[in-house]
Amino acid sequence: MKQRARIRLIVIYISAAIVLLGTVGPFLWLVSSSFQYERQLLNRPPQWLPNPIVLDSYREIFEGAVLGEASGVPYQSRIFLRSFANSFFVAGSVAAIAVLTGAYAAYPLARLDFRGRSTLLFGILASRLIPALSLAIPIVLVAKQIGMSDKIISLVFINLSFILPYVIWLLQSYFKSIPMELEDAGRIDGCSRLQVVHKIILPLSLPGLTSAGILAFLLTWGEFLFALLLSESPASYTSTVVVSLFATDVDVSFVSIITAGVISVIPPIAFALIFQRFIISGLLSGSLKG
Amino acid sequence: MLRQRKLVTLLVVLVLLLGAVASAQDDGLKLTGWPYEVDVVTENLGRFTDQSGHGAVFLPFPSNEYRDKMVASFVAGTEFDVAYVRDSYLAEWASAGWIVPISGLEGADELLADLPAGIIEQMSYDGEVYGLPYYSGVQTMAYNAAHLEAAGVDGPPETWDQMLEQAQMIKDAGVVEYPILMQLRSGENYLLREWETLTASRGGRLFDEDFNPLFHLEGSAAWEALDWLTEGLDAGLIDPASITDDDGTLLMAAGTTSFMTTTDYTLKAMNDPEQSNVAGDIKNALVPGTDEVRSGTWGYVRLYAITNGAEDKDAAWQLVQFLGGKDATGEYYVPKRWALEFGLGFSPAPLYEDEDVRNSLSGWIDPDLLSEQSEYAISRPYRFVPFFSDWEIGSWGPLQAAILGDADKGDVLNELAEEWNELKEDWGY
Amino acid sequence: MQIRRETQQKEMSQGMMALLFSAPAVLIIAATILVPFLIAVFLSLHNWNLKRPGRERFIGLENYTDWLTDSDFWEPLQTTFTFAIGAVVLIVVVSLLISLLLNEKFPGRGVLRALLLVPWAIPSVVNALLWKWLLNPQYGLVNAIAFEIGIITEYQNVLGSMPSVMIWLVIAYSWIHIPLATLLLLSGLQTIPSDIYESAIVDGAGVRQRFLFITLPMLRPMLSIVIIFEMIFALKVFDIIFVLTAGGPADATNVLGWTIYTETFRKLDFGAGSSIAMLLGGITLALAILFYVFLDKGVER
Repeated sequence: MKQRARIRLIVIYISAAIVLLGTVGPFLWLVSSSFQYERQLLNRPPQWLPNPIVLDSYREIFEGAVLGEASGVPYQSRIFLRSFANSFFVAGSVAAIAVLTGAYAAYPLARLDFRGRSTLLFGILASRLIPALSLAIPIVLVAKQIGMSDKIISLVFINLSFILPYVIWLLQSYFKSIPMELEDAGRIDGCSRLQVVHKIILPLSLPGLTSAGILAFLLTWGEFLFALLLSESPASYTSTVVVSLFATDVDVSFVSIITAGVISVIPPIAFALIFQRFIISGLLSGSLKG
Repeated sequence: MLRQRKLVTLLVVLVLLLGAVASAQDDGLKLTGWPYEVDVVTENLGRFTDQSGHGAVFLPFPSNEYRDKMVASFVAGTEFDVAYVRDSYLAEWASAGWIVPISGLEGADELLADLPAGIIEQMSYDGEVYGLPYYSGVQTMAYNAAHLEAAGVDGPPETWDQMLEQAQMIKDAGVVEYPILMQLRSGENYLLREWETLTASRGGRLFDEDFNPLFHLEGSAAWEALDWLTEGLDAGLIDPASITDDDGTLLMAAGTTSFMTTTDYTLKAMNDPEQSNVAGDIKNALVPGTDEVRSGTWGYVRLYAITNGAEDKDAAWQLVQFLGGKDATGEYYVPKRWALEFGLGFSPAPLYEDEDVRNSLSGWIDPDLLSEQSEYAISRPYRFVPFFSDWEIGSWGPLQAAILGDADKGDVLNELAEEWNELKEDWGY
Repeated sequence: MQIRRETQQKEMSQGMMALLFSAPAVLIIAATILVPFLIAVFLSLHNWNLKRPGRERFIGLENYTDWLTDSDFWEPLQTTFTFAIGAVVLIVVVSLLISLLLNEKFPGRGVLRALLLVPWAIPSVVNALLWKWLLNPQYGLVNAIAFEIGIITEYQNVLGSMPSVMIWLVIAYSWIHIPLATLLLLSGLQTIPSDIYESAIVDGAGVRQRFLFITLPMLRPMLSIVIIFEMIFALKVFDIIFVLTAGGPADATNVLGWTIYTETFRKLDFGAGSSIAMLLGGITLALAILFYVFLDKGVER
């Protein structure tokens, strides 16, 4: 038995290594490149490891963020980290509101029997079927008309409306997997529907809610099109817009873009690391036994 | 239910609060464009404010998406008073009424008198001039002198056939695998431009002055240009990556390409030791020609234009004059600064005489060859009709197929000519 | 029983409740999307070219019939399907395997799960740059690695011809999307009670049997959602095409998303752009319903 456990672990770690190589490998190249000179990115064979380690692009971004104009570093590097505040606000609000409102919307779709259930389910999904590119200009137009352009809050709404359908679909499927007996037990104990949702469904759905939150945060963090189209001044740039500012028509600072990209990855991954501990198995099986 | 209602109320309040906080600010004139040297632009605007009393801010957007961003901005009603414009979409913006003409405005004639006719043509639509130049230049040829030397080649090719011969020598000597890069990718910065360079330097044109297609005629320079591309690709002398590559500057800087036609300012990056593995080896030469034609090329211009969103047109025009023309002291302050400190090409005639400007260029490009190159620039009036881009977008796929030998050249060219004629008739040109 | 009836009396009908519960989310979606959507529908019924101001007019379904009789619609549609099928299959298979791995208990699992999200967290502009560099025929990493291992004897331009360009687009696209699918499948796997496996092991079921008879059926609702989501995403593909091939070579990667972009943002023909977008939306909706009926409904019965 011990022998088998060991073999199992070996197989797992070998597969994990392959997965890691495939997913994180290309990212490691970005990390390595961010410490190189631009010309070294053109070497053949490639410069796998930085030699020497060049810290200029990191120094510019951090010095620029702290010292502002006094740092003398290029504009793009200066405003990059500051734009994180906008990105955090948008992605955080979207994740929180999407999970909250999405959960309530998903419950009746999963559990209640009412006329128009399928219509609602597909109506919600249908709002995501038209490519964003062709809704983009109408959205910008409407935002402008009602005085909502160049405002971060507009980005929250737009991202919410794009992400909610996915969150609702995800959660209704998750809720369906919760055994009906648990809910019935609660109802017999005198719980109202809302209490059932609060006391039984939501706690048991923690893994699903967490996945939905991570999904919402990541999708919003990386959103570029509307972040660009709705902003009219640096005050409303999100980090994805600023990363793109490193291409200037006359030249492109590739190392700076790559460095900004590497730094951009940190917040969403940290967010996932913090919250993913709630994606734990056994919640359901445990409750059934008890 | 109660909790939910509270929540909704909370959300509504939150939204209203945030909406109220982000209030509109008034900084005077708003200039937008791509984010090249933002701090320098801001400094220049400071000088403008000092001289004119008008406040002005620069609000840049990412260069690759600038055009799309501005389309959305214009449709919604733009905030910006003055915008950078590339000649490649000037006709579009002008025909949509998004930018307003400057011809006839006070002082315009005087500034336009200093500009070459070719530059003015590229800032015009339907007989009106729409702005003043930010930077401008011509397509020229870049080559890697060290590669030529290593293969025992004397100097850069003077004809396209010589280029293939030299490329063969370079390839045979094992210097690089694919000596020539042509920019044949889909996109308004690539395929059509390359075709225009190849055609112009064979003494030909894609269209005549009345916008009639010439490229589909048997034996036309444009047709020969495509044949030459196919020949080079088949012989393994033109890099097969040409079909998809979007940044030949990098391949030159990597030292894996010996020849390419390119915009003049890219030589600066190719010869910059920070960005290039072959800094100092890259030289400019005239775009090759044929036995009869010495060279041929076309010019480009980026300009400042007043948008239809500008409320104070006078102030906006003052800003355009300051940026693209003279400042209050009567000097071409901004254009000269871009040329001197950043090597951007300029158009006003007085700057050609300026010793400082000439000296600053010679570090990375041969200014005499460059100014000779600009003498061969052809005029491309067909690019300044509103339907040009409609036709161009549809031309990339078929042209690539023809070049790669997947489709018959005659069929493709005739079809493209037909499409052009249909558009032309439809638009009443 | 008595208690139950009492609670039910106090409560409203299920339909009313559904309405109230879903109201906030539905309102947010509607408030943001509805008007723009109606504008897009309106535009799709008009001859509306921004370069010809003053000539806008209602033309009914003419934009639609124009597209449906034009090879400029059918050829990109075919390319879109080719791409979407490749991408959905690759994404679902790989993410299913990865999620099964991550569902196992082993030290370091948490970190691996978070790191798995990295491809998804890279900003799209950097991702574009990354893939440009990976696939470059001169200094590209894929070429370098394949060359060092000895798979190829000279560097290849994988984006220059079919079918390699399509294969690499699918790979690049899937690389970015696999984390999302894995995350969803993993949360689906968590809903399978472990005691079912335990009793199956007691009954002598092997790994394959447990996968086929427990995991797959119980994962089916989430799996169908992943397939539907990924299909919707893939049919709308644009970003990666824009960056890597711009529809080339010779229109080989000209998908509908690219056509929508060029019609709208380049030709400024909003009528044509909106109508082709509606067509794509309709096709996607039809497929989503079809998939849902086949994949999800099957479980309930």
